[in-house]
Amino acid sequence: MRLFFSGLRKLVRRPATWVTLGMLVGLLVLIVVAVGATANGRTVRANGTEAKQLVTFPGAYDRILQFITGLGGLFAVIYGAAIAGSEWTWGTLKWSVARGESRVRYMLISYVTVAVMIAAGLLITFAAGVAAAIVGAHLANVSTSGLGDSATLGGLPERLLKGWFAVVEEGALGFTIATLARSQLAGIGVGIAFYFGEGFASIFLPDIVKYLPFSVANASLATGTTTAGAFAGGASALPADQALVLVGVWLLGALVVAAAFSDRAEIAG
Amino acid sequence: MSGTGTLALATHGLRKNYGARHALDGLNLSVPTGVVYGFLGPNGAGKTTTMRVLTGLIHADGGTVEVLGKPFRRGDRHRLFGVGALVEAPTFYPYLSARANLRELAASGSVVPSKRIEELLDLVGLCDRAGDKVQGFSMGMKQRLGIAAALLSDPNLLLLDEPANGLDPAGIVAMRDTLKALAAQGKTVFVSSHLLAEIQVMADTVGIIASGKLVREGPLKELLESQGVVKARVRPNLVDAAIETLKPLGGVERLTETDRDEGWLAVRVAGDRAEDVSRVLAGAGIYVSGLESGNDLEMLFLELTGGQALTGEGNFVGLAGATNGANGGNGASTGKETAA
Repeated sequence: MRLFFSGLRKLVRRPATWVTLGMLVGLLVLIVVAVGATANGRTVRANGTEAKQLVTFPGAYDRILQFITGLGGLFAVIYGAAIAGSEWTWGTLKWSVARGESRVRYMLISYVTVAVMIAAGLLITFAAGVAAAIVGAHLANVSTSGLGDSATLGGLPERLLKGWFAVVEEGALGFTIATLARSQLAGIGVGIAFYFGEGFASIFLPDIVKYLPFSVANASLATGTTTAGAFAGGASALPADQALVLVGVWLLGALVVAAAFSDRAEIAG
Repeated sequence: MSGTGTLALATHGLRKNYGARHALDGLNLSVPTGVVYGFLGPNGAGKTTTMRVLTGLIHADGGTVEVLGKPFRRGDRHRLFGVGALVEAPTFYPYLSARANLRELAASGSVVPSKRIEELLDLVGLCDRAGDKVQGFSMGMKQRLGIAAALLSDPNLLLLDEPANGLDPAGIVAMRDTLKALAAQGKTVFVSSHLLAEIQVMADTVGIIASGKLVREGPLKELLESQGVVKARVRPNLVDAAIETLKPLGGVERLTETDRDEGWLAVRVAGDRAEDVSRVLAGAGIYVSGLESGNDLEMLFLELTGGQALTGEGNFVGLAGATNGANGGNGASTGKETAA
């Protein structure tokens, strides 16, 4: 537990934590409020879906969560890579190993603390997004009567939990990539490349890409009312339940690779 | 040398290869308990590789290590609970303060009492800056913090890689005093360094490594006693005559490394025989214009590691004052020699 609480303290004090959260919250609030302020003047989708739906409850809950898990997934990749990569770039892993700490334990607990921070970030961002949607609804003269829809609110914890699980899996990929690269910058760069590369590849290889980590993360969150976003491979997207299992497989696999590599690695510098 | 039972650290046939290069080539070290052990070697000799193996950062390809009397194999990480280490440049979380860095480091490995952190900050002179972020620290301050970090668990064996790096003179003196005090308490301090003068005034025992092998190990005093030198300066046109005159005393070499060496000779005799050198030369009508004596770790080091034996540059002069007289010896070699 000493290592766990130490990891949390380090993350709470780390500027990257607040910058990442601030950017995600800022973008979400900006977009939602901007949409609310301009929704009466235009239609934003080719299929005729009104921009107002982003600020209309109870559907706004899902859309905000989808935004968070989509862009938040990319931020999680960057954040996970930053945390793991800095241990190598700054040489701080070396200290703990030289003090007799288990490398595997150190790396796994480090990621557990990242997962806890992701949970906190998800809740904060979601709350900010809901608040922004209420403001946007007022600006767009849309009723907020759906805010207390009991059916939606009842399913919200499960949706948030699945969203957290998906983002944690995406963060684990960044964490593992940076561990393998032994570098903060390389980990972030390669993580971003993987994220967008998978999205791009889904255009040409949807039947393969639908099994890849970012696609399954998005597919695991799909409901009847929302699509799974750019990574789902359109009609090829996996069913949510099946995707959820694969999210677990990718998460476990990424952490096993990170732990095994750390255990075997020669630490220098 | 002490028996295995009293060794704080021992390696037997330690090997480490990087591709075709042998970084460690059968290294045998015997570090007695309760001493400051100077681990010397030129760049690339294998000092840092040894430190990394001893701290579990890398794994040896062969050989064995004993730490505090017990085998230290892969997976024996708990053995490091009794060891403190500063390997290469000290590294920290730049966004955390000195105090916070020590606190978070203390969360790994063995348990550290919280008051220990304040004691160590005081010991290394960082109390006033303990709350400042490390990213604003100078190299010397980071080095002080690194030494504090190495001492966190009050280790019985302290492994320090170039601990004087970046320290100001006062910091070096304080560090030296601290390490000597630790040794006096029965703890063992293993210091890897290329600063021979520092090792000469601090270490009780030295090990000299070259090309991944130990070439000499033993108590510093005994090693130095076998390495006395008297340097004399005569008029340049009399150097050849002076060499012939001094040959009966011992080996004589002309110093030619720099322009400043003009007229200087080095005579391989005990450091306390400067008077004999002067008298013999005077007897031959050659009068010295400069005379220095000492027992020089640098010379021993350079000879054993294949460097130029006598550079004639200021190093010798600097060391002479510290050693002249104090270590004047009889020329007997009692250190443990190992084939290079």
